[in-house]
Parts: sequence; C-alpha cells; structure tokens
Amino acid sequence: MDYQQLIQYVIGDTAGSLRLFQPELIVCGTILVMLGLRVFNLTRRIPTWLVALAGVGLALTYALPWHHLATPPVPGSSREFFTGMLVYDNFTIFFRGLLLVFAILFILFTQVSGIPDRDDAADFYTLVLGSMFGMMLMASANHLLVIFLAVEMASVPSYVLAGMLKGRRRSSEAALKYAVYGAGAAGIMLYGISLLAGTLGSCHLPTMAARLATLTPPGTSDPNLMVLVLGGLMVMVGLAFKLSAVPFHFWCPDVFEGASAEVNAFLSVASKAAALALLVRVAIGFGTVPNRQEVSPPPVAVYQAIQDPAGASDQFQQEKSELIREVEMSEESRTDIEQSKVESPNQQMRPPDSLTSLTVVRQFMIYVIVLISAITCTFGNLAAYGQTNIKRLLAYSTIAHAGYMMMPVAAGLSLMNSGHPNPGAAEAFSSLLFYVAVYVFMNLGAFAVVALLRNAMRSEEISDYAGLIRSAPGVTVCFVTILFSLIGVPPLAGFLGKFFIFEALIKANTAPTIALLVIGGLNTALALYYYLRVIKVMTIDPPPADRPPVEFSLVSIPGAYVVAITLPLLLLMLDCNGLGTWTLNACLQLIPGH
Amino acid sequence: MSDPLANIRTLLVLVPALPLLAAVVTAVLGPRVLKSRAHWPVVLGLGLSAIVALMLLAEVNRHSRNMAHDSKLAATGHVTLWRWTGIPDVLATPPAAAAAMEKAHTTPPRMLPFDVDVTLRVDPLTALMLSMVTFVSFLVAIYAVGYMHGDRSYWRFFAYVGLFVFSMTMLVLVSNFLLLYVFWEAVGMCSYLLIGFWYQKPEAAAAGKKAFLVNRVGDFGFALGIFLIWITYGTLNFHDTTLSSGGVLPGVLGQIRLGDASLYVPGGLATAICLLLLVGACGKSAQFPLHVWLPDAMEGPTPVSALIHAATMVTAGVYMIVRCTPLFGASPQAQQVVAIIGGLTALLAAIIAVTQTDLKRILAYSTISQLGYMFLGLGTGSMLGISAGMFHLLTHAFFKALLFLGAGSVMHALGGVIDLRQFSGLRRKMPVTCWTFLIGCLALAGVLPFAGFWSKDRILAAVHERAHAVVAGYHSSFPVYEWLYWVAIGTAFLTAFYTFRAFFLAFCGPERVPAAAHPHESPNTMTLPLAILAAFAAGIGLTLEAGSWFDSFLAESPSLAALAAHETGPAGSHLHVAVLSTVVVLIGIGLAAFFYLGERTQIDRLAMWLRPVYEASHRKLWFDEVYDLLIVGPLRILAYLLSLVDRFLIDGLVNLIGRLPVWLGAVLRPTQNGLLQSYALAMAIGVLVLLGTLVLF
Repeated sequence: MDYQQLIQYVIGDTAGSLRLFQPELIVCGTILVMLGLRVFNLTRRIPTWLVALAGVGLALTYALPWHHLATPPVPGSSREFFTGMLVYDNFTIFFRGLLLVFAILFILFTQVSGIPDRDDAADFYTLVLGSMFGMMLMASANHLLVIFLAVEMASVPSYVLAGMLKGRRRSSEAALKYAVYGAGAAGIMLYGISLLAGTLGSCHLPTMAARLATLTPPGTSDPNLMVLVLGGLMVMVGLAFKLSAVPFHFWCPDVFEGASAEVNAFLSVASKAAALALLVRVAIGFGTVPNRQEVSPPPVAVYQAIQDPAGASDQFQQEKSELIREVEMSEESRTDIEQSKVESPNQQMRPPDSLTSLTVVRQFMIYVIVLISAITCTFGNLAAYGQTNIKRLLAYSTIAHAGYMMMPVAAGLSLMNSGHPNPGAAEAFSSLLFYVAVYVFMNLGAFAVVALLRNAMRSEEISDYAGLIRSAPGVTVCFVTILFSLIGVPPLAGFLGKFFIFEALIKANTAPTIALLVIGGLNTALALYYYLRVIKVMTIDPPPADRPPVEFSLVSIPGAYVVAITLPLLLLMLDCNGLGTWTLNACLQLIPGH
Repeated sequence: MSDPLANIRTLLVLVPALPLLAAVVTAVLGPRVLKSRAHWPVVLGLGLSAIVALMLLAEVNRHSRNMAHDSKLAATGHVTLWRWTGIPDVLATPPAAAAAMEKAHTTPPRMLPFDVDVTLRVDPLTALMLSMVTFVSFLVAIYAVGYMHGDRSYWRFFAYVGLFVFSMTMLVLVSNFLLLYVFWEAVGMCSYLLIGFWYQKPEAAAAGKKAFLVNRVGDFGFALGIFLIWITYGTLNFHDTTLSSGGVLPGVLGQIRLGDASLYVPGGLATAICLLLLVGACGKSAQFPLHVWLPDAMEGPTPVSALIHAATMVTAGVYMIVRCTPLFGASPQAQQVVAIIGGLTALLAAIIAVTQTDLKRILAYSTISQLGYMFLGLGTGSMLGISAGMFHLLTHAFFKALLFLGAGSVMHALGGVIDLRQFSGLRRKMPVTCWTFLIGCLALAGVLPFAGFWSKDRILAAVHERAHAVVAGYHSSFPVYEWLYWVAIGTAFLTAFYTFRAFFLAFCGPERVPAAAHPHESPNTMTLPLAILAAFAAGIGLTLEAGSWFDSFLAESPSLAALAAHETGPAGSHLHVAVLSTVVVLIGIGLAAFFYLGERTQIDRLAMWLRPVYEASHRKLWFDEVYDLLIVGPLRILAYLLSLVDRFLIDGLVNLIGRLPVWLGAVLRPTQNGLLQSYALAMAIGVLVLLGTLVLF
C-alpha cells in the first residue's frame, strides 16, 4: 500500500461522498448567498427569507425522502461516506427530510409572525440554517468527533438566536446562560469522548462497538469498564443537554422565557429532533456491531495505519477490500489483530450478528435512558404546574416530551436484548420517529399560536388569555386542538404517537420498560392538569373587562397558517399508514441482520 | 384498454364527495360571504350528486345484467381509497376465519392484523339507496330554501344537511363494519345537531339529548355486535382481503363466504351477533323498545323531519339488516325476533298514532309503524320478504317525505302551529298542499294504485307465505308468522284510519285557523318539491312493480344473491291478500270519514266508550312514563348516590392527590432559581447521582 493508492482512494471517496452530501451543501451554499447579500447590501432588495426558503426547498428536493422511504430499504444499501465520518441510510434521509420540512414551515412562520424584522433577517436565517446544518450532521453522524462538531454547530448559533431580541435584558441573560451552560455540557461531553476514544482506540462508532464487543464478553469485569461507564455517561450528559433532559434542563425554562416564541419553536422542535436522532445513532452505534455486506473501507484508518502503524492498526475490521488486506498482512505480528479478527462480526467465524455480544453495553444504556427519561418526564410535568407564563409552561412541556420520546429507545434496545431485533426493535425506533414527526406539528403549532397571539394582544401571560374563545374563537379552537394533541387525546395525532410508543414499551416487556410504561401513563394523566388549565382559562373564564378586543380571524394569513399546522393533527388519524411505513423503513437499516 | 368499471368507480367517489364539498364550502363561506345565498352550494351539490347517483344506478343495472353468477357475489364496483392499519398481528386466527381461508386455498397465519380497508363499493342495494337518498335530499334542500328562509343560522342548516348527506351516502357505500359504525354515528350526530337546531328552545335541546341518549343504547349493542363479528370472523371487511403475507382473508360478506353458507358460524353465536346488530338497528330505526326518541325529534325543523327522520337516516337500520342478510340467514331465531319486533312496533305505533293531535307526531308514529313493516318483511328471511322490505323503504321514503313536507307547509302557513285541534278546513287556502297531502295519505294508507299499496301488499304476502311455508330445518310450535300476519292486517286498518283522520281534521270541515295566522299557499320553492314527490308517491309503486325489475335487480346484490338463488321460483299470486288488505283499508278510511268528516260528535262518544283504550293510546302507551319509572328514576337515584360518593370520597382523594403535584411542583420550582452557579451544581450532582446509581446496581 502506498500513498498513491491512498490518495486515489480518498479522492474517489470524497467524490462519491459529495453526491450524498448534496442537501447539506445546498444549505451551506444558501448561507453563503445570504452572507453575500448582506455584505453587498442587497438585503433591502432581495428578501432574505425568500433566499432561505428557496435554498431549503432546493435542499429538500435533493434530499428526496419520498423517493427512498416509500419502499423497504435494500439490504446493504446503508453506506458510510466521508471516510466513515458520516453514514448514509434511510434514517439519515428521514431526519434530513424532516428537518428541512420543518425549516420550510419555520421560515414561513417567522414571515407570518414578523420576527425577525427586515434588518435582522439575514443574520437570523444565516444562524438558523447554520444550526440546521449542524443538526443534519447530528442525524447522520458515525464518528464521535463529528458528533461533537455537529452538536457544537447546532448549539452555537442557537445561543445567538436566544439573544436575538436585542435590548431586552431577559433575552441577553438567557443567551448568556445558555452559552455558559452549553459550554459546560460540551466540555463534559468532550471529556467523555476522549475517555472512550482513549480506551477503545478509535472514534469511529462501528469500530468502537467492535472493540467494545471484545472487551465485554458476558461475565467479565475489565478494569477499563469503569472508565467506559464514566465516558459513556459524560457523552450522555452532552446529549441530555441537547434534549433538555433532567437534570441538564435548567437552561430550558429560562431560555424559553427570555427568547422569542419563534426561537423557542426552533429550539424545541428542530434541536430536539436532531438530539433524538443523535441519541438513536449513539445507542445503535455502541449497541450493535454492523455486519455490512459492502462497505467502503474507512481510509482514515488506512491513513493512520501508515502514519502510526503501532497505534492504530487495529482499526481494521472491514476485510473485504484488498487494500486493507495488504496492510493487515504487514501487521500480523500484533496479537490484537488476531483478536479483532476473531471478534469481528464480519468474519465467517461468527456469522450471524453481534446481538449476542454487547448485551451488557445495551443493558447499561437501557438503564441510563430509563432513569433519565422517567425523571425527565415526571419532573417536566410537575414543574409545569403553577407556571404563569405560557412560554415557560411550554418549556416544561417540551422537557416532559423529551422524556416520552426517549422511552422508545430503551424499548428498542430491550427488544434487541431479548432477541427480537427485527422488526420488533425497528418498530420501536420507528415509533420514536413517528412521534417526532407529529411533535414537529404540535410544538410548532403551539409556539406559532403563542407568537401570533403575542402580536395580537402583546402578552404571553396565561391569565391574559382569559375568555379568548369569545373574541378569537377560531384560533382558540386550534390552540385547544394542539394542546389536546400534546396531552395525547384521541383521535388527535399526539394520541397516535403516544400509542405507538407505549405499544413498543409493552412489546419490549421487560421490567424497566414496563416501569416506563406505568410512569408514562401516570405522566399523561399528570399533564392533563396544566394543559387543561390553559384551556379552561381560554374557554371558561370571563374575559377581562379592560382588554381591548383581540383581532385574530382565521380568514387571514396568520389564521390560515395556524389552521394549516393544526389540520394535520386532526387528519393523521384517518390514514397513518403512510407515515408509519416511512418511519419503519427509516429504521429497518439501523438494526443489523436486516 | 378501457376499464369497463372505470365509470362506476368515478361516479362512486363523486356521490359522497359532492355533498361533502358543498358542506365544507357552506361552512367556510356561509356566515360571512354567502349569508342568504348559503343554500346554493348545498342545493347544487345535492342536485349533482343525485344525477350522479342515478347515472350510477343505470351503470350498475347495465353491468349486473351481464354478469355470471359467481361474480354476482362481489360488489359491482369498488374503490379502495386506502388501508387503515391499526395494529399489525393482534388477533389469533379464529376458527371461522381459518376454515374460510383453507376454503380459499390459503394457509391461515397465526395472527391476523387489524386492517380496515377504506373502500367504497356499489352493488344494486347500495345504488338504490344512494339514488333515493340523494334525490330526496335534493328535493328537501330546495324545499328548505323556502322553509328556512330568514332563519338566523341559515348557513348552519345547509352545512349540516350537506354533512348529513355525505355521511348517509358513505354509510351505504362503505365496505367495512367499523366504517359503517363511524358513519352510523356520523348520521346520528347530524341528526342530533339538526333536532337541536333551534337550541334556544328548551324542548328542542331536550329532544336532541333524548335522541342522542336513546341512540347510545342501540349503538352500544351495535358496537358489541361488531366486536363479536371481529373475534368470530377475524375481519370487519365486507369484501375478501388480500393479506400482506399473500393469503386471502375472506370478508364477512365477501365472495368466498357468500359462495358457501356453511362458512357462517351457526347457532348461539350467530344469534348473539344478529341480536346485537338488531339492537343497533332498533336504536337507529326507532323500533320498539327504543322508539321513544323519534316523536320528540319532531322538534327539529320540518325539512329535517322529512329527510332524516322519515326518508333516510331511520332506514339505516333496515339497510344494515338487509346488508347482513347472510348473517341473519345463519340464525332463524334472530330472524324471528326481527319479525316480532317489527310487527309489534308496527301495531303499537299505529295504536298511538290514532289519538295524537300533533300532525307531525302522527306522522312520526306512522314512520315508526311503517319501519316496523319493513322489519317484519326482513324478518321473514325470504327473498320475497327482504325485497318487499326494501321496496317499502323506497316508496315510504317518497310518500313520507311528501307528508312531512306537506305538514311543514301547513306549519309555515300557520306560523308554526301544528296542533290539529287549532285549525281545520285548509283545503281552500292551500290547494296544492292539500292535494299533494291527499296523495301522500292515499299512498300511506295503501290504496290501489298508489305507491304504498304495492309495497305493503308485498310485505303482507311475504309474511303470509312464510306463515304457510315449511322452512327446512326450523320448525316452531308456535305459529308466529300467522299471528304477525294478522297484526300486520290490523296495522293496515289503523294506518288507513289515522292517516285519513289527520287529513280530514286538517284540510276538511269548516275553515278555522288560529287568530294570529294568515294562512296562504307556500312559495314555489316549497310546492314544487311537493308536486314532484306527489308524482313519485303516486307512481313509483306501479312503475317498480311492473315487470318485476326491482326484484331481479335487487337480487343481484352480493348479500342477497345466494338467498335469491335458493328461492324456489317466482312467488305465487297473492290475490286474496291484496283483496283483504284493500277491504281493510277501505273500512279504515270509511270509519275515519264517518267520525271526522261530519259533525264529529260520534267520535267523542266512541272515545268515552273505549275510555281505557283511548287513554292508553293518547298517553302513547305510557312508554315515557314507564321508562321514567324503570330506567330514568333508578338511574337518577343511583346517580345521586354516586355523586355523594364522588363528592366526598373520590373528590377528597383526588384533591389529596391533586395537591401532591402542586406541592411537589412548589418544592421543585426553587431549583429553577435563575442562578447559573446552582444550575452547574445541579448538573454536577446529576452526573454523580447517575454514576452512583449505576455503580450501585
């Protein structure tokens, strides 16, 4: 193996990868165009939001979710690209599509609600798209460094967005808190990553999983295990921060109260969806050793091997390529090569898959996730009691929802442990995707109503919504529908989402998941109270005498927007097969042995 | 290649789509834009829908002629819009489903999924119902333009009507029990909304509530019946379903099962299913003992009474039983119950109708009674009886809608007065109403050659034949059908009597109107539908009877094809039945003329003489009182007791539990104190706690 070959290989890989990276590239291009417009002072002539919308629309047409997700994936069609940094499968396609669809809805929403104003628009959309780019990377990350970079890429613009309401103390305070808190979480996560990488000798998730499998045969206790547990927990802290899971949620209510409702919509939906995608990626990444039939060998490994043959040669576990085999022959003296040969799932000696190994790792993740999701869900719902500001209330509501949405991950991992990987585990993960898709509309709708009501009545206090049904019946009905959907009342979409999640928990049928089921059920009842209180204030309480009439007709652009967001929640019950199939197809490739 | 059924498929979707579209347009644009023109979308939509439905009828007729027997067991045309999958693999394959699948040469899977095909299908039965429903609703909509003119919520009325017609057409189009139930509830909801249309009136609101609650009882039974069907047959689809595994799951009323009657579960299970379905049908079609809601429903606007509570919605029960004929075929006992319920209802309602003084209530009881006739026809279980029941359904729709609209015309003229004691002799002031009403009365009473005669005669003939036929495999020691035959004859007499009593009281005798009213003939938008309906009430019976087109066409319906094939030749002549019923009817009319056309002194003496009977009839056989005593009263007491338990025990507990989260929330809230330092501390503690728990376990 010589450098010539390596360079040839990297060039080939990059060319192939760029094709798979088109939507992200288009988003980057759009950011550049918007910055260019700003530099050349063209933002007055060309509305930035149109540019952003066009860019996102174009990216969506290149992401082609409908093209890939309608039929089950071909076995082995999942592939790594950019030398194994990212992975391209239906899961990537689904989240990329979902985030871009959300971006379109979000840009329209900001246009309807009037924040940002014209001066800020270029900055605002640049930041939004920049963050969006990071989130798309989170959904396709396959390498711990990419994970870290993606989380930071998604977070840093968010800090600025939180402080976008210039001149408002609360806003600036929120932004600063968010940034400091985020920095802390990032530091811990990076520490965790370094621990893991140091112990396992790689940052490439499948490689790490293969090493883990060798380290954790059933019934052994390795001195390294404690380090691994610590590292894993620290990585989990970073994720929990993005998910606003308890006890790493403290930024959330303060930021949500300080920032504008538009930014809240962005943070609560896109950021959370991406974080959940990343959670699945990490859980699957550490929990399974993929047995891909055809994979492009990770040239990073090749490159490292040439530079430092002693340190990183055991990165090789993809042996189909002649390229790799050559290197391996030169390294045969090292014993751990032999070991990795034995343990590597791709080899003929251990044919089916790695589900029997790594049980311990999955069990560890199940416990962590069960613990965090149970606490998050309960805490979020309890703390929402007694809130007087609607944005703060919704902040706690999103915390609680993060708890619900982590549950299917635990269920999926349990199903893999109990030997029902396919399609049981894939169905469990697909229930998460289903909920996220519904959640996009529920939460975007909720914050849209809050923002538009703020425009109409200059208040975000729940008590000021009193008697709204009389002066603005249409929007009140929409808001009530959205809130009922958030509770999970049939026949609304939120009910379907919860139903599938609980179904996954029942199917997993282990003590932790059944406990989660009970906690989830109790929490749904708990959540009734504070959502219904808002509904009661709006529909039953008399309107304050001194309030000027609220002008909010459904026959207007904001009204039409609210209706357009609410209708899917009502109509999904009629036919949820399409979304169900898409989400299932998105998850099938995650589980080895597909 | 052009698909011969493509036409049918397009028409099929258009029939319900047009009213839905009209309803949505009216609901969106009605209050602001259309205002007093709010009727246009619905009138247009229903008109087009009626035309489309008639075209569909013609197409179906053309197709069903040249079909082989086997393919008659499937719907003539169907469109699957989408498949609604609830949960995959929920039900272990029931024996009935497994047997039928083996019959279809497929291996039954271990678990069956819960699939609901959202399929629209058409066959002769559906096509007939569709044509009737859309046509009558179109006429009623035109009528309502005049009747509802100037109402405060004009648009709301038409939006509801559009929604109702959509639901009703869907009810007869769907190919699945669950969807049947959905639209069953949807028409019930429209009915509720329209009964309580004038919700400011307490009686209207109470009537709406009563209809809703009584229907709940029926729907509860219906729901249980559907559950039972599902666990027995493993599917709720009418048609055969192709599973994703490749096998064919025979539908409840699908080709495979219809082709082999032995695939229907016999015995107690079949009887249970049928009786539960019957409970549902009794609720919707206002049959004894669930008939009490229909007379009160007359509080709604009269076009609604004509459309929903006479012509269309109340016949949903009849439609459902006809659709489920194969299921009922598996249980002669259940069929007998249907017949008994029908006969009993027909008689009881006719007895009550004799002494009522509210014209609309007379018609309501008459509707109940006529629906009883239809059930009686279906209860014979023979092709003759079922086709007679459907025939009566069609003719009844026209003449009863006519009568209600006539009554509405009277109400319109008299400013809302409908009590027969307050007016008489309207024939000069309202000639069109009078003559069309007379035609309706003749049809209802069953006078040759008006529509009602032919269909009622057929039911009588079918019951007579059933009473004297020996049905293989089932013998009853008690001559139920013989008795029912005489009940039906008696009802025919009463029908003629009360119908003409009402007519004579309203239109004949000295001219007498309430002081405030200025009677006048109704506007053209109201008299035109009257005239058209009168033409149908007069002619449709003879038209359909001639050439026995109706029988052979209806027999092409999948649910009936098997039964029709077993039927032994054409029905014999039933001249003596026709003669007897005609004589009885004439006696009834004669008596009514004798008592009400002259001085009306004889009738008081008769009433005195038959005091107990009169009292019973006048008090509607004390149904409401008995229900109050037996059901409402005890429930009230129970509810009061439970409310005590609720207030003191449950509320106490709930308040206790309810205080817990608030308290917890109050405890947790200080953690969110806005200080970054404490957040950092909490985060660190969080990591440590997580680590600690993991190390410990």
